[in-house]
Amino acid sequence: MSAVTAEPAARDWRQALVERPAIALTGVLLVLYLVTATQAPGMLTLNGIRSTLLLACPLAVLAASQTLCMLTGGIDLSTVMTANFAAYVAANQSGRGPVVALGLALAVGLAVGTVNGIGVGVFKVNPLIMTLGMASVLLGVVTVGLVGDGFLSGSTRLLPVLRTVASGTLVGPIPTNMVVWALLAAGLIFGLSRTGLGRAVYAVGDNPVACRLAGVRIWQVLFAVYLLSAVLAALGGLLFSGISGSVGPDQTNAYLLPSVAAAVIGGTSILGGVGGYTGTILGALILTVLNRLLLALDTTEAFRQILYGLIVLALAWVYVRVTGQRGS
Amino acid sequence: MPAPLLQTTAVAKAFGPVVALRGVDLSVAPGEVHALLGANGAGKSTLVKILTGVLRNDSGTVAVNGRPVDLHSPTEARAQGLAPVYQDPALIPDLTVEQNLRLTGVDPAAVRRELAGMDLDGLDLGEQARDIPLPFLRMLDLARALAFDPQLLLLDEITAALPPDLSERVFAITTGWKQRNRSVLFISHRLAEVREHCDMCTVLRDGRDVASFHPGQEGGEGQIVAAMLGEASAAVRDVARERRAARERAEDERPRLVVRDLLIDRQDAGVSFEVQAGEVLGMAALEGQGQDRLFEILSGNVRAAGGEILVDGQPLKARHPYDAIRRGVVLVPSNRLMALLPQRPIRENIAIPLFNRLRRWGPINIGRERRQVSEAVTRLSIDTRAAAQARRLSGGNQQKLTIGRWLAAGFRTLLLFDPTRGIDVGTKHQIYDLVRELADGGAAIVLFTSELREIALVCDRVAVLHNGAIVAEMPPTAGETDLLTAAHGLEVTAV
Amino acid sequence: MTTAPQPVAATPLPRPSSRANRFRRRQGWVVGVAVLLGALVFWRYSQIPAFGPFEVRGIVAGTMTLALLAMAQSVIVISGGIDLSVGAMMVLANCIAARLMLDQDLGPVVLVALGVVAVAMLLSGLIGLVTVVSGVPDIVVTLAASFILAGLALVVLDGPGGGTHPRFQELMVGGFDQPLPSLLWLTGLLALVWVPFKRSRLGIATYAVGSDRAAAFLSGVRVGRTRVVAYVLGGFFSGMAGVVTTAFTGSGEPRASIGATATLTSVAAVVLGGVALMGGSGTLLGPVLAAFCLSLIPPLMLGLGWDPNYAEVARGIIIIVVVMIGGLVQVPRRSR
Repeated sequence: MSAVTAEPAARDWRQALVERPAIALTGVLLVLYLVTATQAPGMLTLNGIRSTLLLACPLAVLAASQTLCMLTGGIDLSTVMTANFAAYVAANQSGRGPVVALGLALAVGLAVGTVNGIGVGVFKVNPLIMTLGMASVLLGVVTVGLVGDGFLSGSTRLLPVLRTVASGTLVGPIPTNMVVWALLAAGLIFGLSRTGLGRAVYAVGDNPVACRLAGVRIWQVLFAVYLLSAVLAALGGLLFSGISGSVGPDQTNAYLLPSVAAAVIGGTSILGGVGGYTGTILGALILTVLNRLLLALDTTEAFRQILYGLIVLALAWVYVRVTGQRGS
Repeated sequence: MPAPLLQTTAVAKAFGPVVALRGVDLSVAPGEVHALLGANGAGKSTLVKILTGVLRNDSGTVAVNGRPVDLHSPTEARAQGLAPVYQDPALIPDLTVEQNLRLTGVDPAAVRRELAGMDLDGLDLGEQARDIPLPFLRMLDLARALAFDPQLLLLDEITAALPPDLSERVFAITTGWKQRNRSVLFISHRLAEVREHCDMCTVLRDGRDVASFHPGQEGGEGQIVAAMLGEASAAVRDVARERRAARERAEDERPRLVVRDLLIDRQDAGVSFEVQAGEVLGMAALEGQGQDRLFEILSGNVRAAGGEILVDGQPLKARHPYDAIRRGVVLVPSNRLMALLPQRPIRENIAIPLFNRLRRWGPINIGRERRQVSEAVTRLSIDTRAAAQARRLSGGNQQKLTIGRWLAAGFRTLLLFDPTRGIDVGTKHQIYDLVRELADGGAAIVLFTSELREIALVCDRVAVLHNGAIVAEMPPTAGETDLLTAAHGLEVTAV
Repeated sequence: MTTAPQPVAATPLPRPSSRANRFRRRQGWVVGVAVLLGALVFWRYSQIPAFGPFEVRGIVAGTMTLALLAMAQSVIVISGGIDLSVGAMMVLANCIAARLMLDQDLGPVVLVALGVVAVAMLLSGLIGLVTVVSGVPDIVVTLAASFILAGLALVVLDGPGGGTHPRFQELMVGGFDQPLPSLLWLTGLLALVWVPFKRSRLGIATYAVGSDRAAAFLSGVRVGRTRVVAYVLGGFFSGMAGVVTTAFTGSGEPRASIGATATLTSVAAVVLGGVALMGGSGTLLGPVLAAFCLSLIPPLMLGLGWDPNYAEVARGIIIIVVVMIGGLVQVPRRSR
């Protein structure tokens, strides 16, 4: 006997939105873009589109990290520190050639991800705490490295290849970093929906007990997720340094909270088991355009911040209302 | 004629497109023990939640003692004299029992009195609720409800997983309640209990009440089942018995599963039994005799304190369910919450064991997955209308899902732990059929059930577990009396 | 099972746990932290030949802010939530207080302090209300709130500034060698605000909501109201933290990064103090003691001659290690 349900023909539009949040999000993005264009007409030019995509890229990469972790019911608060560290290492070691420098930067990501993965997966530490502690450690390491003749002192020169990739233009409105972004997005979206690991990620976030009973070794999945998260963070830091043209020990810090917001707005539940990267991409774009809108409004930094927070809250609220996906 | 204690008229409730109740008329007289019956998804729990103020009905009226009432919160329902005892005791685990009582504004002295009346005054109320075993938490919840001195007690599956002596005390209460002209609304899947202890019963089907009669009368059980199943009821065939009679057994085969002196806990004697391929070994036991742990050990979730397990003649030392699954030993737990991925679709729920190792983390062959999943869905006749999220399925369908995943992944030894608990009659029989089919297909099956009548329908042998050891092995035709006697650790005298 | 015709064996009653076991389970962690703190204090004492009221005051007054934020966070975590805006609330309270207290007499200064705490309670309650009513997870709501509060702080003070009355500073955090006021404040708040709350029905309801929200609702607890009250109480403590910062530093500082760091450290103190992030258990004393442990690390390292920049690294490592060990040691929760 089954639950009494209404006729399948009468499909609720809410149901459609839950299963395909991308539709609503694209709508919001378009509306927001047009509104912003009224304040900043440059948005509608090829150059305007290009700069939006350019700026959204590092946020989208950092938000990818958060998406992965949130799908398993966790979070990664060490991403920005990893990003800063990786960018710094690449610039610091740029004298040894791009391969070595980039390799070292990604090695930073691998190292951080391994520690996070072991902490969360093997020792079952709460991800909030583990990545928090890791962020502290990384901050300290970077600070120590920069002081006096620490291992990070000495001249830093941005790798030319980073500059080209991160801030160059491929053709028309498409910046070069879109290539990286597109590859990443394709990989993530395919990985999450069409691979065994992707299925395991969703399953672990939805019900770890059921996973164990089905034979899934949860620590392996968590390890993989946090490892990927840190490597993506390192990549995000490299891209950001390419755009900004310099490196600093705290250059991506402002991206931490927006990266979480982008994933949340995109429909990934912070409790795990639901969501995906498609929504996150749209969330990152929405937030970038929102930022541009606030800049165009010509108000003080203070009001911009307040409005940013209010709008993120409003978007999240609307999302919950429409899809009926409550936090509890 | 006195006004009924509780009367619902045309109560309806819908959750979006899902209509749970279509208009229920229920009437409970004073001094009556009234059973509320129905298949899973028929609307029983929704009705109970409305009566206890957890949900608001969309339309219809509820009247207590002839006066219409608006039950907008659990507190209001209690004030109107309706006190529930849920299957999951509503006690906060981190608080002590006393703190829990303070929370609901109950006088601990009144609760102690009620506990004394049930012969349970030895319970320490200073313990945290998490440290008290489930059967006693239920009794505490019952005592708390009684302390409110309600007019109507709503007992939701209270005897499910209660040991017989505590069940008896519950029924002693209900009998005493009747004498005080109070009433009880009793929800249960145990038809024998219902027939023995209830004065009236109302059967719900598809959100409507379809029959109301005295369950104890001659042929009452058949009437109940017919009302619950509707036209599809027909005769509840003893398919299993038919199948079993036709099957032959190869005597010289090596047993698929051998368990030798398996120590479930730190005790002296262990469990020993064997299961052949194609055989269904039933297991019966009272509450808390170690059956939960035994199945956890067999499925690889927990390590045994001693003894050995042999699968196909080779020892199995499992540290993780994966080790057991690799040897073809899989578990279907009774608690669907443990086994389901609630927010994921049916497809992912069924396919999850296929991705439990690193080698399978790569790209999925979607076509093959679809085939495997649809095979399982068809074989189990899972209703896929609410396919997007598993939590929207009814209890019966959810249970089929947890079995279906092993059909898709393949297995050689199937461990079923109380698979039909809390499932409606129709689905129960589908599962019995399936178990016999799987056995015929060559699987070795160990089936633990808390409903003794199932054993005769499905099993080839039955082992009785008591205090962590097998105390008797009987043919399935052994009567319930013999089984119960053995389950208590007593000698079964040959007649 | 069907009822048997013959008399059935009685199921044995569960044995009540011993008092020692109960104490170990419920207060064990806090005792551990207290012992650790004692060891750290002793260590510091042995590092400084002339350890006196000056050092004690330095430790206590310097930790007051973190301790108060830990208290704020604890209340909310116990109720089953988390608040990533406590630091920002502190910064806002700091700025409002500093701006309004500038060049004022003691009387008005005290009134401003009271007013600021009230405002913090109001704002925090509003955040709680939004969380409860909207259904958006609290991490997201408080994240957005931290933006908003940081922005408000900038509106109040667009740069470091403001001031306060020196007598007020003495009252709150004591002079350079007066550890007593800070100690009294912390002990007083714990004893006179927290303990009565914890014992009250509202306090029990807060633990209930954090432990098992569904069961709490079925027990008749007004879940939404209880959660909002937890946020209001949290706002009280973070408002106090802001006022104390004004008293300690003598000025207001609207930098958002202060708030962010403070928030994250408050979460660390909560976890180190034995309050489960899942909610429903723990007490405020643990996180307060843990806050002291965390603040002792930089001076200890300085005393050892280590580069104080390593303090951050050490803090991070200690947090991780303690939580790892704690996870292995604590009795696993019974799965329901």
